[in-house]
Amino acid sequence: MRFPPTKLAMSLLLSVAILLGAGSAHAHEGHDHGAPPPPTSSTIAPRADASSADLELVAIARGNKLEIYLDTFRGNQPIDGAEIEIDSPGGILKPVAAGPGLYTVAAPFASKPGNHDLAITISANGVVDVLTTTLKVPLSTQPQAVAAPRPWWGVDPAIAKDLSQRVGEPGTSLLLTLGLGFLTGIAVTALALRRRRAAVGLILLAALSFATPTGALADTGPRASATGIAARDVSQRFPDGALFVPKPTQRILGLRTIFTEQRAHRRAIELPGRIIPDPNASGLVQAAVGGRLLPPPGGFKPLGTSVKSGDVLAYVHPPISSADLTTQQQQARELDQQISVVSRKVERLRAIEKIIARGQLEDAELELKGLHERRTNLARANKEPEPLVSPVGGVIAASNAVAGQMAEPNSIIFQIVDPARLWVEALSFEPQSTNGSAQGLFAGGKSIELAYVGTGLADRNQSVPVHFSIRGDTNGLRAGQFLTVLATTTTDRAGIAVPREAVLRGANGQSIVYEHSNAERFVPREVRIEQLDAERVLIVAGIEPGKRVVTTGAELLNQIR
Amino acid sequence: MNRTHLALLSLAAALVAAPAAFAHEAAKGKNGGLRVDAGKYHAELVVDGTSAVAVFLSDADDKPIPTAGFKANAILVIDGKSQRFELVPADGSKLTGTAPAPVNPGAKGAIQITAPDGTTAQAKY
Repeated sequence: MRFPPTKLAMSLLLSVAILLGAGSAHAHEGHDHGAPPPPTSSTIAPRADASSADLELVAIARGNKLEIYLDTFRGNQPIDGAEIEIDSPGGILKPVAAGPGLYTVAAPFASKPGNHDLAITISANGVVDVLTTTLKVPLSTQPQAVAAPRPWWGVDPAIAKDLSQRVGEPGTSLLLTLGLGFLTGIAVTALALRRRRAAVGLILLAALSFATPTGALADTGPRASATGIAARDVSQRFPDGALFVPKPTQRILGLRTIFTEQRAHRRAIELPGRIIPDPNASGLVQAAVGGRLLPPPGGFKPLGTSVKSGDVLAYVHPPISSADLTTQQQQARELDQQISVVSRKVERLRAIEKIIARGQLEDAELELKGLHERRTNLARANKEPEPLVSPVGGVIAASNAVAGQMAEPNSIIFQIVDPARLWVEALSFEPQSTNGSAQGLFAGGKSIELAYVGTGLADRNQSVPVHFSIRGDTNGLRAGQFLTVLATTTTDRAGIAVPREAVLRGANGQSIVYEHSNAERFVPREVRIEQLDAERVLIVAGIEPGKRVVTTGAELLNQIR
Repeated sequence: MNRTHLALLSLAAALVAAPAAFAHEAAKGKNGGLRVDAGKYHAELVVDGTSAVAVFLSDADDKPIPTAGFKANAILVIDGKSQRFELVPADGSKLTGTAPAPVNPGAKGAIQITAPDGTTAQAKY
């Protein structure tokens, strides 16, 4: 198909004009003229809504009663404990709380047809605001939904109404027309076949099939009580995809919204990580020599005991081989022998002390003393164990100590960790520059603040290790725990950050969010998203700042047909 | 450029211009007050920091409407409290009333207007 250039230009111009017109019509708030048309639905009770920058209010007329649903404008959270006064045609009404964010009051005027102006003064959360709205009660006080269903149809009244509108006939004659057409068709076929018996059979069959649903479904069809004043508000989807969701349903679905804000966000990257002890605040207790482990006085300290630097945690008794033992015994005997010889010599010299040189006696005494010392050392060398002391203060994180166990040299007997000082070692598969701040997420959903320490360069399993220190409370954390590190990168992205749950997949596969356009209206908006971090995504196109986007309950909203 | 094109062009122009008609949000009125829509009327609230409150009525073309026979009720938020008081017709297109406390310009609130024929209108500030 080819467009003449002028026509193309015209259509472009028109499209732009429509876009411009639509945009600016929404561009100001707090004014009635520009607001999108209120939802038109015949199956709902008369209602009015009003909103300000802080509050959103829906007034629903149920017979002689007026129900007021009060929520925050931005978050759609029910507001409790509000004081409400309504200046109505029936004087000043003071609704009372009847549930979370729900207030009711008797209002006789609400059942009378016509336009009722309401000025509603609300005092809640320290905010006083006056909202104005007009409650339009249609001529028939009975909501049309009650009058619409005809039980014998056995079809959804809405569908039937739609069908009847399409056919251009009133509802009652619709089925008649269809049935007659069907019968005629069969008769014509039968005639064409020129088989009378078959024709009669077919006509009977057709008559039956036409009659059956009317009789059988009469009991199962929806029956609305003729006196039903309270219309049931049913949420529904309009042909343009917009949704009408009554406030009571919004409360049940727990819908919450956020106010969109354009801002520069730092993208975060996800790294797998593991908690490690801070190397400056942890240590190992190793045996320098092999030997038999023996507990210190009071026994081995159990796991989790806090120890100070220098505390003795265990003793290692080095074993003595039999050859060594023999040599030692030999030395001991030799020494014993020498001691007895020298001690005799000292005694003798003492006896003749007066006639010998003084030096002679002193030499002998010194020799004896030296021999005694060597003997004691030799005796002690057999018994003196090596004490194992804690190199740092902390908590015993691991213990391999068993009394009597033969510890090999360099074996790790105890591991001491300061639980208040832990690090995280994450593995990065591509070189990323972080701006220093990071978050750790545990499988349970707990998160901790991290500070960047440094990145290694040595390759380890196709990745480089990145170290972070844990800031703040480390209670409940232990070395070896796995976690996901979300490190903020240095690149900025501008957009609107929304929680992950707000973005849904539309029927056509596109990403959509639901905009809370009016109090009870939600409009799907196609958006383009980019990953931001574990909890949020970034909307880069499709919705403007200053809109309300459904977060909690968006998935439930998407299920409304 | 044929007639179809002209028609399209004018439609485009109308679409662009249409929102401009909506865009008179909280416009400054002829009497120095805040003028908003109230049903089929325009209502201009004039306050000067004292407790005297005046409302000027005009039609959609900003032509003054005589207020004789009109009744009005003002609900204004003054010092964080909502105050309710009546407005009575004064000379010309003016409705006047006295607030229980001085009202500063920019006060939030609403005016409910009842015309002599019983129809009502509301203005929100």
